[in-house]
Amino acid sequence: MLLLIKPKLLSLKNSVSTKVVLRRLPFIAIGIGFWFLFYIGTYKVLTYVRGIEFFGEILSRKLFSMTFFSLLGFLILSSIITAISSFYLSKDIPLLLSKPVEIRDILRLKTFEAFMNSSWMVLSFMPPVFIAYGIGYGAPAGYYLLVLGCFLLFSLITAGIGITTAHILTRLFPAKRTRNVLFGIGVVLFLLLYFLIKGVIPQDISTPEGFINSIMSFKTESPMIPSYWITEAVFPVLFKSGFNIFYTIILLSNALFFLLLSEIAGLRFYRVNTERIQPSGERVSRGILGGYYPEMNTAMFYKDIKTFFRDTGQWSQVLVIGALIMIYVYNFKSIPINALSGFPFIKEIMVLVNLVLSGLVLSAVSVRFIYASVSLEGQAFWIIRTSPVDMNRFIRSKFLYGFIPVTALMLILVFLTNLAMDAERILMYLSLGTVLMLCVSISGLGTGFGAMYPKFKYENIASVSMSLGGMAFMLIAFSIVIATLSLESWIFYVYDIKGVMDLSGKIQIALSMILIILINAAAFYLPMRIGEKKLQEHTGIL
Amino acid sequence: MIILDNISKSFNATHAVKNVSLIVSTGEIFGIVGPNGAGKTTTIRMMTGLLTPDKGKIIIGKYDIVNESIKAKSILGYVPDKAFLYEKLTAREFLIFISSIYSIPKSEALSRTDEMLELFGIKDIEDEFIESFSQGMRQRLLFASALIHRPEALLIDEPFMGLDPFGVRMLKGVIKDLSSKGVTIFLATHSLHIAEELCHRVGFINKGSIISIKTKEEIKGMEGGLEGLFLKMGGE
Repeated sequence: MLLLIKPKLLSLKNSVSTKVVLRRLPFIAIGIGFWFLFYIGTYKVLTYVRGIEFFGEILSRKLFSMTFFSLLGFLILSSIITAISSFYLSKDIPLLLSKPVEIRDILRLKTFEAFMNSSWMVLSFMPPVFIAYGIGYGAPAGYYLLVLGCFLLFSLITAGIGITTAHILTRLFPAKRTRNVLFGIGVVLFLLLYFLIKGVIPQDISTPEGFINSIMSFKTESPMIPSYWITEAVFPVLFKSGFNIFYTIILLSNALFFLLLSEIAGLRFYRVNTERIQPSGERVSRGILGGYYPEMNTAMFYKDIKTFFRDTGQWSQVLVIGALIMIYVYNFKSIPINALSGFPFIKEIMVLVNLVLSGLVLSAVSVRFIYASVSLEGQAFWIIRTSPVDMNRFIRSKFLYGFIPVTALMLILVFLTNLAMDAERILMYLSLGTVLMLCVSISGLGTGFGAMYPKFKYENIASVSMSLGGMAFMLIAFSIVIATLSLESWIFYVYDIKGVMDLSGKIQIALSMILIILINAAAFYLPMRIGEKKLQEHTGIL
Repeated sequence: MIILDNISKSFNATHAVKNVSLIVSTGEIFGIVGPNGAGKTTTIRMMTGLLTPDKGKIIIGKYDIVNESIKAKSILGYVPDKAFLYEKLTAREFLIFISSIYSIPKSEALSRTDEMLELFGIKDIEDEFIESFSQGMRQRLLFASALIHRPEALLIDEPFMGLDPFGVRMLKGVIKDLSSKGVTIFLATHSLHIAEELCHRVGFINKGSIISIKTKEEIKGMEGGLEGLFLKMGGE
């Protein structure tokens, strides 16, 4: 197994040089900056929650277990998708299967890959939360070690469950095309999620009492789920009331059990499954658009759309995003606006919070679908480079490919959530206008960044959005969202709350507006230009 | 016509191609042979616009591949040595896509697609995904896509990769036919007997430089033919 991992480690080692690190330094700095902001945000929320009379400590514990409860679902879903990519769609599988290598070793290598790909982002974003809890409670040094270890075990449990599910589903569905498998997964998961949310949250949340009751009775407390085990393992150390080894052992034994289970499922099904998903030379129906002949301008767009719906590796990612969005809309539907109606400007604040969260969704969706769009050409990019298509036209086509669906999705999302909150008409128009502008700039930024850091030789497309460039794009995109919304809030504050309409007020409003336009125009234009130039000079295609 | 005027290309201070000058006339088949790593593929990639020469000029037809790249590329056909294609398109869809990006009008594109599918023997599998194609079928499709816009110049890197004897015979016929119609052909190959059979002239490249160019007649008159010459030149 170690021998099989060696090429991956060597590739990683060879790709890291002083030059590369120096070039990526700004992105690393942005990442650290975000880590810090995330820490500050969590710490402030924690301090506020702990300050609430009677309920503070219980709520803080509840928040911790709820965070892991949500992560549990997300990581399992993400593991299923990445397991299907790693085990069945990766390009190195034919090579591995043709070598005198034990299936067990291939399974272990792929388990490692699937685990890393599905959880590294969550693993790298969680430390600020742990540190905030640690500092908030003045926890001993052992806490940090324990929480990281437990979180690793927690992630291994989700990987084991995800991989086992992926093997079984690929075996169960008789269709040769894996898309049916993933469609099945999607339907099952959405139904599960729907009933889960329906079942665990009481429906009366229209009063403050009902709201607190609903949080308190959110059933993350079942001793049968890993989020409960990690909370029980970590909190005694956080409270300095000893070390509860029982739940740590439960986590460890379950991690081992689910990894073993995934290996047993793999040994039982992997060989048969890999044969079932071989390209079969089956005829494709030309469909109703069979006679459509695109012009040069639309040819690339048309090709990308066609490929998207045929490529399981691409559209399966929609499931992850879909689940996140469903949870998001449901949460907004559950906000007890009436119960909070006593607070001044509560609707405006909620609309702003909604926009910030939509910005986060926009960044996450964009990294999957817009940032990766240039790299999607893969090594077939030589076709574009040697054809009479200029890079400007190519990059515009890629922009539209991401911009149209992402904008439609975001506009619907913001419209529905504002509707759920009963937002006033002017706030609705402002929200939709802001989101439209952000979609333009973030789509430009994503396309440009994707062109600046293309990864044409990828093993599976999910690895493109998970790359350092992808992460940097996501953080910059979210920074632009925050900057835009902060400036808009300032305009609102000066105009509506402060009521300053003297010269200074007017200047502040005008300057803020100019800055908003400049930031978004630069985010759209500059990366597209630089990306276009970089693609023209790109040499590592074939 | 293709003109290479004193072109050079280096990668990290290593000369991949060094001061290469060459004129390939209209309708000529020019072959370039040489040991592995001699600079054949780099030369071809510069001619396609995939790489930019550090020095020198490349003219395709009457267009400079660097300064008038769109015009040059529109009269150029390229068959690379590795057949990376859009795996999730069918052969027909792929040819239609290529026709679109070369701005071929619809009716002509459809008739040329049928013509190419027939010519290269892939009509039976035109509605299958490319991902299920064998190496030989991919090579046939590559040729179809390189010829669908009726190029004036054709660049081929290892033309017979993965083809069965029927495919090789068919393709040799296509190349000869194109040449007779005035298409300028530049091919890089390791297959010496094919270069000997097809090419009007053969250039020997080693360590990035063209060290000799021989005509078909000159090669015929030599002892050991092209193979003898190759072994002698490659050892130098």
